[in-house]
Amino acid sequence: MSSETLTIEEFQEIGKALRFLLMVAWLLPLAGFAVEIFAGYWGHRRSKMASFLAVGCIFIGFACSLGALIHWGTLTRWGHKTVAESQHHEGKSEGEGQTGILDAGKLPVEFVALADKPTAHKDADNDDHHTTSGGGHKDAHHEGEHHDDHHGPGTPAFSGGFYLLGSFGDIEIGLDYYIDSLTLIMFTMVTLIATCIHIFAIGYMSDELVEDYVDHHAHTSDGKHVHRPGRFYRFFAFMSLFCFSMLGLVLAGNIFQVFVFWELVGICSYLLIGFYTERKSASTAANKAFIMNRVGDFGFLIGLMVIVTYLGTFRFADHEVNGAAQPGLFTMIRGADGHIDLDQTVDVETGNDVNVVLLKGVDGETLTNANGKNRTIPYWLLIVAGLGVFGGCVGKSAQFPLQTWLPDAMEGPTPVSALVHSATMVAAGVYLAGRFFPMFTTEVLLTIAYIGCITLFVAATIAVVATDIKRVLAYSTISQLGYMMLAIGIGGWGAGLFHLVTHAFFKSLMFLASGSVIIGCHHEQEMPRMGGLWRKMPITAFTMLVGVIAISGLAIPGISIFGEKIAFSGYHSKDEIVATALAFMQMNEQHFLLFLVPLITAGITAFYMFRLWFYTFAGEPRDAELHSHVHETPWVMTTPLIILAVFAAGCAIGGTHGPLWLGLLNSEPIGLATGLTGQLSGIATPSHDAVHAVHSTAGMYALIVAATGAFVAYLLYGAGVIDPGDIKQQFVSLHTFLVEKWRFDELYDAMFVRPVHIVASWCVGVDRYVFDGLIHRTARTTIDVSRWDRKFDEGIIDGLVNLVGNAVFSAGRSLRVVQTGSLRQYIMFIAVGVLVLFVLLFAVFPS
Amino acid sequence: MFDTLLELFVFDVQNSLQRFAPELTLCVTVVAMLLVRLFNLDRHVPSYWVALGGTLISFFFAFTDFNMLKMESFDLAQQTIFTGLLVFDGFTIFFRLFLLLFLILVIALTVLSGIPDNEDGADFYVLLLGSTIGMMLMSSANHMLILFLGIEMASVPGYVMVGFLKGRKKSSEAAFKYVVYGAGAAGVMLYGISLLTGLLGTADMVEIASRMNAVFAGSESVGMGDATARTVILALVMILAGFAFKLSIVPFHFWCPDAFEGAAAEIGGFLSVASKAAAFALLARFCVAFSTGQADNLKEFYMYVGIGIGAIAALSATFGNLAAYAQTNVKRLLAYSTIAHAGYMLMAISALVVVLNEPAGDLFARLDADGDGVLTRQIAEQRYQYDVPELYRSDIAIIFDQLGKNSITQAEFVEQAKDPAVVHTLHRGLGAQALEGLLYYLAVYMFMNLGAFAIVALIRNHIFSEELEDYKGLVHQTPALCICMLICMFSLVGLPPLGGFVGKFMIFATLFEAGAVHWSMWAILLIGGVNTVFSLVYYIRVLKVMFLAERPADARPALIPFRSAPSMYCVMVTVPVLALGIFVEQLSYTARQVASILF
Repeated sequence: MSSETLTIEEFQEIGKALRFLLMVAWLLPLAGFAVEIFAGYWGHRRSKMASFLAVGCIFIGFACSLGALIHWGTLTRWGHKTVAESQHHEGKSEGEGQTGILDAGKLPVEFVALADKPTAHKDADNDDHHTTSGGGHKDAHHEGEHHDDHHGPGTPAFSGGFYLLGSFGDIEIGLDYYIDSLTLIMFTMVTLIATCIHIFAIGYMSDELVEDYVDHHAHTSDGKHVHRPGRFYRFFAFMSLFCFSMLGLVLAGNIFQVFVFWELVGICSYLLIGFYTERKSASTAANKAFIMNRVGDFGFLIGLMVIVTYLGTFRFADHEVNGAAQPGLFTMIRGADGHIDLDQTVDVETGNDVNVVLLKGVDGETLTNANGKNRTIPYWLLIVAGLGVFGGCVGKSAQFPLQTWLPDAMEGPTPVSALVHSATMVAAGVYLAGRFFPMFTTEVLLTIAYIGCITLFVAATIAVVATDIKRVLAYSTISQLGYMMLAIGIGGWGAGLFHLVTHAFFKSLMFLASGSVIIGCHHEQEMPRMGGLWRKMPITAFTMLVGVIAISGLAIPGISIFGEKIAFSGYHSKDEIVATALAFMQMNEQHFLLFLVPLITAGITAFYMFRLWFYTFAGEPRDAELHSHVHETPWVMTTPLIILAVFAAGCAIGGTHGPLWLGLLNSEPIGLATGLTGQLSGIATPSHDAVHAVHSTAGMYALIVAATGAFVAYLLYGAGVIDPGDIKQQFVSLHTFLVEKWRFDELYDAMFVRPVHIVASWCVGVDRYVFDGLIHRTARTTIDVSRWDRKFDEGIIDGLVNLVGNAVFSAGRSLRVVQTGSLRQYIMFIAVGVLVLFVLLFAVFPS
Repeated sequence: MFDTLLELFVFDVQNSLQRFAPELTLCVTVVAMLLVRLFNLDRHVPSYWVALGGTLISFFFAFTDFNMLKMESFDLAQQTIFTGLLVFDGFTIFFRLFLLLFLILVIALTVLSGIPDNEDGADFYVLLLGSTIGMMLMSSANHMLILFLGIEMASVPGYVMVGFLKGRKKSSEAAFKYVVYGAGAAGVMLYGISLLTGLLGTADMVEIASRMNAVFAGSESVGMGDATARTVILALVMILAGFAFKLSIVPFHFWCPDAFEGAAAEIGGFLSVASKAAAFALLARFCVAFSTGQADNLKEFYMYVGIGIGAIAALSATFGNLAAYAQTNVKRLLAYSTIAHAGYMLMAISALVVVLNEPAGDLFARLDADGDGVLTRQIAEQRYQYDVPELYRSDIAIIFDQLGKNSITQAEFVEQAKDPAVVHTLHRGLGAQALEGLLYYLAVYMFMNLGAFAIVALIRNHIFSEELEDYKGLVHQTPALCICMLICMFSLVGLPPLGGFVGKFMIFATLFEAGAVHWSMWAILLIGGVNTVFSLVYYIRVLKVMFLAERPADARPALIPFRSAPSMYCVMVTVPVLALGIFVEQLSYTARQVASILF
């Protein structure tokens, strides 16, 4: 691959086009929301208009996103064509020249070079070797064996601002954008899945198309069912808002904007989880989701404060503030090869012995403050910032220990679950962890990895015993998110986000399939009552099977067609994670659990997913009566299933040579390809080569484990060779423990809820007896005083006022006497008046 | 010789007629109405259309003049017309515009309330227009003769209008009282005028100041010991008594409650605003004519006259407010309220006379803060600025410029100030401020008082009563009118953010400034402030009856919906009251410029 270059003008043209397309895709759902919520409220309750509008908006959004992706791909040869180094600075200066108009709202595309990126091996024949990619335009790095597919000086992201909300000194807050391949892929993925889910929801929500909806799950105080108007339009309005929020989050060019949309996503999930707001369980679940997220967001806020205090900007990319160049967050922390510049001399002022030197640009120049000293941030505060932001991700992506809200979120309508679990809410957490990766130190990364590791195991074990079809999927989501976090934590940035995308497809597919099952079974969600459904609903069953195979990571080894393995998307992404974990374990042997746990869990995953499928679709019907009513769902619901099944199977085609992987790698943070090493912790992340070296080994392990899991599931639930009931009897205490979800809810109840209640009751006591007593006494005293005051007031003051008033009034009344009405007197008064005035003047006038 | 005179005369008449266009238009309209009546055309063309049309044309002329004035940034020099009988300046233009606008509003009100029926319409509008012509003459009088003629021309149609409700005894009685009282007052005034003109040998107001200086040139100070001074005082008191009659100032107010009670409320509204505005315009001209460029010996003399006016003003305000307490008839109550308001406005005139006649020595002492007898230019300019509006900030410089020095002793200052041009300049700042307040007050008063009378008239058409008792609970039936009444009355009290507050504030602020010249102004300010509190009570009493009481079941209903012409009219009149309370700058700027023309 020869190194091709673009001129800066071409590059900016691309950026403008991308900006425009993504902006349309982002804002259309908002417009849709505005129209739907008002038009729906005043409109006809039986109108499907809102849904068509919502689908239209998100579909056009998808078209724009896809268009943007293709536009970017063709013009930059999927990120291979970049701006030549010689033009780099020119571009910079031009960018600076244009930022003058930045405030005016007409924003040019700023060219941001994130310095050298490791680049992927595009050619298929490269996969078997040991290229050190990475390196960069710095000559020092050129000495390694450099593969010839070396690219221009940096993979650029397009960034700039839409609208400046306000500037506070040197800190500007605005609506910015940051577009790289990750943004583009996320946009396309989110809009595609959202489109499918929207279409599916037209069918799923159709029972809301009535003037009088009877909610059989909600009761009024007198035991009757709740009657309410149908809320079809409202559902779609919220969905549109949800999509808008998620897209805004992905497009955001600064961490503050991320936070704003983060909260918007939160409120949308609250609205949608609590959609059946009359049901107590739904409103409780909505509250739980919201509150748990607030716990995480608290950390996020702390992170934001640290960032703005020490780094003085929110924006990811370099930009300009008040005419001066302001490096972005990533530039400041990470040097050209991804290292963090540490200054280990003790700072006399603060006493911090380890400080991170903030960089001005990729060429290693440092930022200085007014006295010419290097600007720094204490290392521990960088860790705090990282952990804080990750805290937000923990809440949003339902990681341990804030995972308990996600299963409860099943109370929302199933399309919401599909959206929350695949493309939007939970994806946001992982996305942010990925986007913010350069800010994480290795200590933070290790924390992330362990959190992910715990989560994925705990959730998988609970999923094994869950019987509610949606809950199995919910726990599976948590578990898969754990995989992603783990991957990011061990330096498998690409692997984690790869899995995010593939998972989004197959998980939305499975959720929609389960929704189809629920509709088909007339709102029955318990798997023990199902069984043998595939005959009645074949499309649902087989699309679901695609999803199950994908998530389990099954593949047919040894055979390949056109050089491609026969495997669904999940195989590729999970394989990559396991490989990264294996490589990581080889480099950091004390952290062997980070490999073993996900590997074993891969087996568990396969087990519970096949368990779900066999339980639901295979075998004989366990509830004949239910079975007799089951029907396949209409085409509006099955078509999205088929579309998603195609993507679930094929989106990762080509694996680590496929377009998705390569596209994602384009945005990989600096230095990851060669591996990062924490200067203090000594933890090292594996380089691409290291991962590559163990790829096939890891893939084999994973496949064996997964196949075993699937096979066991078949034995237990498909073929019925072993009775699962027996096993349950054997491990009854373990089973109960798992059914009670590791007793997290009870633990939190005991740890937080009850202590809070106790403290609250103390507060009530103090309030009632101490404060109220005081207040009552004060009140009594006040009353006594005011009683006296009243006597004084009524007797003396009022008496005085009345006296004056009466005097004035009687004076006024007496004036009537003058006005006698007698004309003769009036005329006399003229003469008298003139005379009297004359005399008076005569009297007072100085003679 | 005769040819030249004739030529001059022709030229003067031509020029004058051009300047006289609004009045002429009204005259033509009057003739037209009489002709319409003569040829029985009034069956086809209601006379109010003729009146309204004529007034609008006249208004158009006045408005053109006003625009010209504005375009030349109020720099129009005074010019006398009709061989010096009338004066044409920005002040004239302002009052013409004011009176014509008011006339349009009143005609619209009479159309709505239908008080002159079609039969009497022509007569009524002839009187109304004729009276307005008189008022316009008053506002532009430059000669004692016109002063008297204007007042009479405005009054005589007024007498008839008061008695216009022919069938009602009360109306006829009121008219009769008004006529006789008016005749008496006119006699007194005429006597005063003859005394003064006899003494000075001229009736031209411009001449008065210099003639007065000449008459008292010899005497060190003018006091009651001097027989000439006594004559002047008597003449002034008599002329002022005439003014006081027009302004219904205590103790020449007796006609007012009776006349207002007997007349229709529309007439009451017209008389209370228009004739007062015209009388104030005339009074202001009269006072300025006396006070311009006087020697120090006369200044003290005039200052006492000013204080006397202030005392009467305070008395009038107090009397009006207190007497209003006991009234049970709303029109009568409003009559006393107009007496009180005339008192407030007269306070501005009093302040005007006092500040214009501050002796130069006092002014020097006021500016010379450290009291060392020497005043530097810098300090003088600085301290002078606090008092006067920015239009006149540099006026004090004239003293230093003429002397050519940057510091001045008291003796030099007084010497300099003997120059009429200098003394005129020194005092015009505060004087203009006083007049600005008066003009603003009048403008607001036009709307709020007309609003109150109009509401009374419109309600009368439904309940056939003007007794306060019959107003109980009206808010439930005519909410729009009642709310307009509330706004008008609160504005009459002077509560912010309504126009009445701003007007009152301006006058009180002037009184405060004038207090530095003579302490008695502060006393008058205090009385004015206390009076505001007094007035609150009886206005609130009306509102209480209208808003809080229950409407008795057997009361005549007054169902006037919001979307009806009467309600719209009241809203239209009330909105300016609100607007003038909030957007002050526009009108106050115009008022300041117009006021400054007089100096």
